[in-house]
Amino acid sequence: MAPESLIDRVLERYERPLISYAKDITGDLESARDAVQETFLRLSKQDLAALESRLAPWLFFVCRNCALDHCRKIVRFSQDPVDENRVSDDPSPAAEAVAAEDGALLRQLVSQLPPQQRELVKLKFEAGLSYKEMSETLRISVSHVGVQLHDAIQTLRRQWNRKHAGAPTP
Amino acid sequence: MEPQTRRSAHTMNDPRITSYALGELIGREREEFERELAASEELQRALNETIPVADALHGFPMPAETFGDARRSALRRAFAENAAATRRKAKVIKFVTNTGALAASLTVIVGLASLVLTRSVKLEIPSAPLTARVLETDAPSPRVTLLVPPSAPNSDPAPPSSSPLTPAPPMGFAANRIGDDEVGVLLTVAASPAPQLQKQIAELLAANDAQTASSLKNGVVPETPIQAAGETARFVSGNAAMPRPKVGAGQEGGASLASAGTGVRLRGDIPLAGRLFRPGEMAGKDLRTSHSVTSVSGVQATVRLVGESENSERSNTETYDAIEENVFLATKDNPLSTFSIDVDTASYANVRRFLQGGQIPPAGAIRTEELLNYFPYQYPQPEGDAPFSVNLEVSRAPWDSSRALVRIGLKGREIPASERGAANLVFLVDVSGSMQSPDKLPLLQTCLASLVKNLSPKDRVAIVVYAGSSGVVLPSTPGTDKARILGVLENLEAGGSTHGSSGIRLAYTLARENFLKEGSNRVILCTDGDFNVGTTNQSELVSLIEKERLSGVFLSVLGFGSGNLKDSTMEKLADKGNGNYAYIDSPDEGRKVLVEQMGATLFTIAKDVKIQVEFNPARVAGYRLIGYENRLLAREDFNDDKKDAGEIGAGHAVTAFYEVIPAGQPLPNQPSVEPLKYQPAETPNAEHPRESTILKSGQSNVLTGGNRSEEENHRTSHSQIPTPISGELLTVKLRYKEPNGEKSKLIEVPLPAPEIPAFDQATSDFQFAAAVAAFGLKLRGSPTAGDMGWPDIQKIVRGNLGADPGSYRAEFLTLIERAGRLRPADPTADQ
Repeated sequence: MAPESLIDRVLERYERPLISYAKDITGDLESARDAVQETFLRLSKQDLAALESRLAPWLFFVCRNCALDHCRKIVRFSQDPVDENRVSDDPSPAAEAVAAEDGALLRQLVSQLPPQQRELVKLKFEAGLSYKEMSETLRISVSHVGVQLHDAIQTLRRQWNRKHAGAPTP
Repeated sequence: MEPQTRRSAHTMNDPRITSYALGELIGREREEFERELAASEELQRALNETIPVADALHGFPMPAETFGDARRSALRRAFAENAAATRRKAKVIKFVTNTGALAASLTVIVGLASLVLTRSVKLEIPSAPLTARVLETDAPSPRVTLLVPPSAPNSDPAPPSSSPLTPAPPMGFAANRIGDDEVGVLLTVAASPAPQLQKQIAELLAANDAQTASSLKNGVVPETPIQAAGETARFVSGNAAMPRPKVGAGQEGGASLASAGTGVRLRGDIPLAGRLFRPGEMAGKDLRTSHSVTSVSGVQATVRLVGESENSERSNTETYDAIEENVFLATKDNPLSTFSIDVDTASYANVRRFLQGGQIPPAGAIRTEELLNYFPYQYPQPEGDAPFSVNLEVSRAPWDSSRALVRIGLKGREIPASERGAANLVFLVDVSGSMQSPDKLPLLQTCLASLVKNLSPKDRVAIVVYAGSSGVVLPSTPGTDKARILGVLENLEAGGSTHGSSGIRLAYTLARENFLKEGSNRVILCTDGDFNVGTTNQSELVSLIEKERLSGVFLSVLGFGSGNLKDSTMEKLADKGNGNYAYIDSPDEGRKVLVEQMGATLFTIAKDVKIQVEFNPARVAGYRLIGYENRLLAREDFNDDKKDAGEIGAGHAVTAFYEVIPAGQPLPNQPSVEPLKYQPAETPNAEHPRESTILKSGQSNVLTGGNRSEEENHRTSHSQIPTPISGELLTVKLRYKEPNGEKSKLIEVPLPAPEIPAFDQATSDFQFAAAVAAFGLKLRGSPTAGDMGWPDIQKIVRGNLGADPGSYRAEFLTLIERAGRLRPADPTADQ
């Protein structure tokens, strides 16, 4: 395939998840875009044929490093990224009702997860990576991915149920 | 905490719950978990509490932030610039055969546009555990639609083919119906054990379905089925991100759904393992029922069959059209067999590349007629005015002596270089980045240079390149200025991306501007097949080529390299453009096509050559045409001069075989049909076999034709033909036009064969060609080559090498050897 159409395909598939992923690390959108652009530029120099089967882990791994580099350069690295869309930790009851409706509550709960679990949730549900791809991206074992993601989801479940009035507490 | 909760907490710590809910659990682990699940209510509860969370997370809207257009185009430029460094080496077939750990199945959702352009195949993967079920509550009348185009969710969205595939199977709604407003549906797919999938791919390949096999490969990322599910999610989330995912029938392939539990809308195709275990179905009995559904019901995997029209979702691979082998037809139902000639040879060179690379070529890449036509045969030159001679011969089939093999051999008149008209050639050269490898542009330069060296002074050559942009690098230059042509040729460099459509317009314009009335006017497209037609779609390209054909400019296609060959596209383009298609994998092959057979490649002596064979029902019970599957014509097309058909070049030879079942013998695989009520009873004559005479061995019958030629003498319909002449097996009728003519001429040659000689009595060329046909059939895994083994084929070839100029036959021997090693005697035994 011509590289031009390839980049289109890759962009369509990964542009948004990568920017979102990078933004969690850099904390601001423009730096995230820079990091993702750098990622794609590096991709353009790769042997795409050889990369094809592990494209997703490669992209997210490189993107992660680019984003972290960026953070180091500007000395503003924060493990707890600033998200302008983020709901405050103590939403008003009214806001909470809205949140429950549109899923923002869940988003908020996700943002409170430990960093690695949060990353895994993003990689799984936003980017659609498999356990194996996540393990390659974060350089951790597949079983560790399984345990962490399970923990994350059970945490979310418990908090979700707790915040839902009337929901049974397990 | 009460004890119940503590135990529950313990259960809750089992990470397999999440893995299972996300479809990541596979194979034995999965089976084991499902067994535990069936036995443990607690585990069921844990799973049922986990699934809504996963669903809710799946419902996260796609992140909104994107690049700006400026960044995006900067990236595209960067990719184009770096194209040279990124050479594709992947070969799909290698991938398919090497995926040892392949264990998966998949759903590929056919996108909106692609539904029109591609076909879907449903594969039953039995014994795979069920994965998917989606709940939808949002719509007024709950319905989940799969693979139904949104425009017509209720009408039959059958793909444009008679394939046994339906996009939206009824998926056991009743079994999965949970409530009034909840419908469960089998959405996707689950693991099937590795050997099973591999077997399936092997079967697909054996069934000439290389595309499906490769799609299967494409959709399935090896090793885990989950990745397959993830792959699906990618497809859909890509689509769903576009306008807005709305719950409803057929939206973007039907995978945008809402979960009842959370009210959160799901996005994408979600692995739905274990979703039968939802509250409300928790009672033991129901559970067991559900569970048995999960493991017993066949799971459907939808595989996109990649057609020639692509969309960007398909990953880049070589593509081949599936070939459906011709079956035996009964003479009494189908007395006429009509096809267009085909002088292409590309398939042989391609097959050779595969075999020499240690791979069995995909069945779709093996076109038996092109294997046959690759070899030179000693057919005599035509007599009189006819542009070609017709050479019929019959013997018993080498693979079944109760059957006969009839060969039709055409030989185009040789034109000595001195008598040849001038050639006006425009080379349209693909210089995109992918052409950089040594077996592409450099080979092309060598080959074209040797062609140019053989040009006469009156010939003209122009060169147009296409990549990111297209341009004339050499205006039409006379053959006297070879140095200039060669210089330009030498300086061609690969780089940029392919954009064929403007290049081809430019090439045709140049050819028309320098049109030679008395000569051969031809555009020669040289590409590795990455023929991105850009803004134009393929049918526009084909109509452009057809239009230009009328102006007298023909199109030949030379295919180069590997990894990305669009075999069927290139063959079609050449076919539509009144040209030929050759695949060049070595300097030797280039010399054969462009120097030795230059006349055949460049000078058409007859066009729209059609063959119609009329079989004598008194002698022939049934027949089948070997090869030419994509050249078949309707019987009416034979006399229709508007119907395009194949061209024959100077010195070209065309060989076709019919396998014939003598009268009185039953036809294999004839579906039994109730006797027709209104048809006249069979005539006793046709019923009486002449087996005894037919099967006497005797001397071979060679008949050189060109006789009985009649001009523009439209025959009356065959119902008026007198009773069959009993000695004749069949009559071959040919129609052709002069290269510039519009009216066709007719040649008729009967094959009188009172006796069918034994195979070893046939001429050497006949025996050799029959061995080539057997080789093609066997290599494709066709069961129709009887029990001929590779050594049998090799023995025939070895005994009939003849003079073998160019050593093509000797090389063929080595290919048989390789094929024999790669595909053991029994085609089913190698799995």
